[in-house]
Amino acid sequence: MKLLTRTNRYYLALSALLFVLGTGLLYGGLQYALAHEVDEQLQQQRTYLTVRIRVTGALPTVTMPQELTIDGPTRSESLRDTVIFDPVEHEAVPFRVVSFPVSVRGQVHWLTLRKSLLETEDVLKVIMAVMLAVMALLFGSLLLLNRWLSQWLWAPFRRTLKALRSYQLQQPESLVLPPTPIDEFSELNQAVAQLTRRVAADYRALKEFTENAAHETQTPLAIMQAQLEQLVQDPELPGRTLGAVQEVYRAALRLSRLHQALTLLSKIENRQFSDGRPVRLDEVVQEKLRQLEDFLEAKELRPEVDVQVPVSVVMHPALAESLVGNLLQNAVKHNLLGGLLRVQLSTAALEISNTGPALRTDPMLLLGRFRKHYAASDSPGLGLSIAEQICTYYGFRMAYEYAPAGHLHTLRVTF
Amino acid sequence: MKILIIEDEAPLRTTLVEFLRHDGYICEIAENYEQAHEKIKLYHYDCVLVDLTLPDGSGLNLVRTLKADQSLAGVLIISARGSLDDKVQGLELGADDYLQKPFHLAELNARLRAIIRRRQFQGQRHLMFRDLTIYPDQTLVLVKDKPLTLTRREYDLLLFLLANPNRVLTKEAIAEHIWGDDADMADSFDFIYTHFKNLRKKLQEHGADNYIRTVYGLGYKLETA
Repeated sequence: MKLLTRTNRYYLALSALLFVLGTGLLYGGLQYALAHEVDEQLQQQRTYLTVRIRVTGALPTVTMPQELTIDGPTRSESLRDTVIFDPVEHEAVPFRVVSFPVSVRGQVHWLTLRKSLLETEDVLKVIMAVMLAVMALLFGSLLLLNRWLSQWLWAPFRRTLKALRSYQLQQPESLVLPPTPIDEFSELNQAVAQLTRRVAADYRALKEFTENAAHETQTPLAIMQAQLEQLVQDPELPGRTLGAVQEVYRAALRLSRLHQALTLLSKIENRQFSDGRPVRLDEVVQEKLRQLEDFLEAKELRPEVDVQVPVSVVMHPALAESLVGNLLQNAVKHNLLGGLLRVQLSTAALEISNTGPALRTDPMLLLGRFRKHYAASDSPGLGLSIAEQICTYYGFRMAYEYAPAGHLHTLRVTF
Repeated sequence: MKILIIEDEAPLRTTLVEFLRHDGYICEIAENYEQAHEKIKLYHYDCVLVDLTLPDGSGLNLVRTLKADQSLAGVLIISARGSLDDKVQGLELGADDYLQKPFHLAELNARLRAIIRRRQFQGQRHLMFRDLTIYPDQTLVLVKDKPLTLTRREYDLLLFLLANPNRVLTKEAIAEHIWGDDADMADSFDFIYTHFKNLRKKLQEHGADNYIRTVYGLGYKLETA
């Protein structure tokens, strides 16, 4: 629910309650005041009549029988309400009635004075109608005001939201939020800008750290590798030492390869690659297959290659090579002896299928880092993660399917 | 053959100098940008090894200076940054080759020789080794003046050996030289073994001496005598 709809509801509920209360009070108050006024008028008339009768010594003449009756049925002094049928208006009309005794020449007469309450009821009706109209006007204008407020006053908030939605950490420029005169929003913008600045700074620091770490690690590795290669040149080196040196040498090489792969991954993630240009993927595929020919021969694979010519995709050339290379390597490495290797390339997708050992896990899990089908394998298990990262980077979709019938693994990259 | 080694890491620099001197190069060193700049302005070299990240400047600027001076020296960039853009930029500036740290010394040597060979227009355009003559431009190999047919891999291996005579080439270095990124795939050592076996057989059939020696467990060595 929108914030304004909710506040509107509370506003309406509260003003309805206040209105009912206010109307009730007003009605009661007015009725009391009007009744009091009628009573006062009746008392004044009574005083006036009493005085007049005492002075003239005669009963007044009855001109309006509705308003004054002499010696009616009432024989007690009282002030009360009554209803009398009005033959003219054909309805029962409420009256205020006062009865009192007067003595004319020693004889007691009962006088009854009446006053119609019809006029005061009309007044009350008018007041209620006015109140209702005012309330309707109030509600209506409140709704309109709120709608306008939400469009105009909340605009800066919506602008901030939009800016945040389109903000990307990798972009070099910081988040720019337009200034707003409203304190709350301006505070929000400040907090948001501060937060993104801090996050961006952290991100940059991390990026620099990976770059420096790459440089600082490769240099000692280069020293190790060069020294060890020099060491094994010594023909006098005893066999046991030679074995140890070899182990260290291999470990250093492995570490270096692992490091290169990780550096490549973080570079793709950090989007440190300059803009791509059209790369002839069909040529890359052919070239990679040629490079792998020794491995293909050893596994007795005859690749079925169905490559459209030309297929051009806008990528960084090195990343295109890495993507195709990793996928093909994977398909050859995990293939069976004399198995199947099918490479299909069209302008829409690159699909590489190979026979391989049965999978018991979700194939998509193998795209994770350091996931290997054989835990003891010498390779760091980053090939497919690199391929997947490259796909994510360029907005390609990568899917890994496994068909148990024929043990067929298929990796499909949709451009 | 005069070479300038520009490298700020002392242990690596020492190893490079030792290795290249042993191979008959005359080596000079520069530890930083300033020294390097002075030396390339003052002297002529056949080849310059440039590390890109120097404490007081970028090796790329040294490449620029060399090219601006129309130096005849070959330029081989060695960098730990491994950034593909550095590589592209370096080669576009006119560097002859780019090698990422860490590298195999034998690989460095092979690249160095290829650069020098390409740059020596006045010299012989072929390699001689005992009873072998090789014309790299035509990928032609002669044994005792008779042509020898080799596969691409065998030819690559022979050239790699010839670039590093009297030196043990580790299987790892050979694998990386031949297959690059694919070197860590299984079986690559078996392929090396097979290719060497075939290469030897072909050489023997043509009556060449057996100068490719297997160093047990380590790799192979081309013996000069």
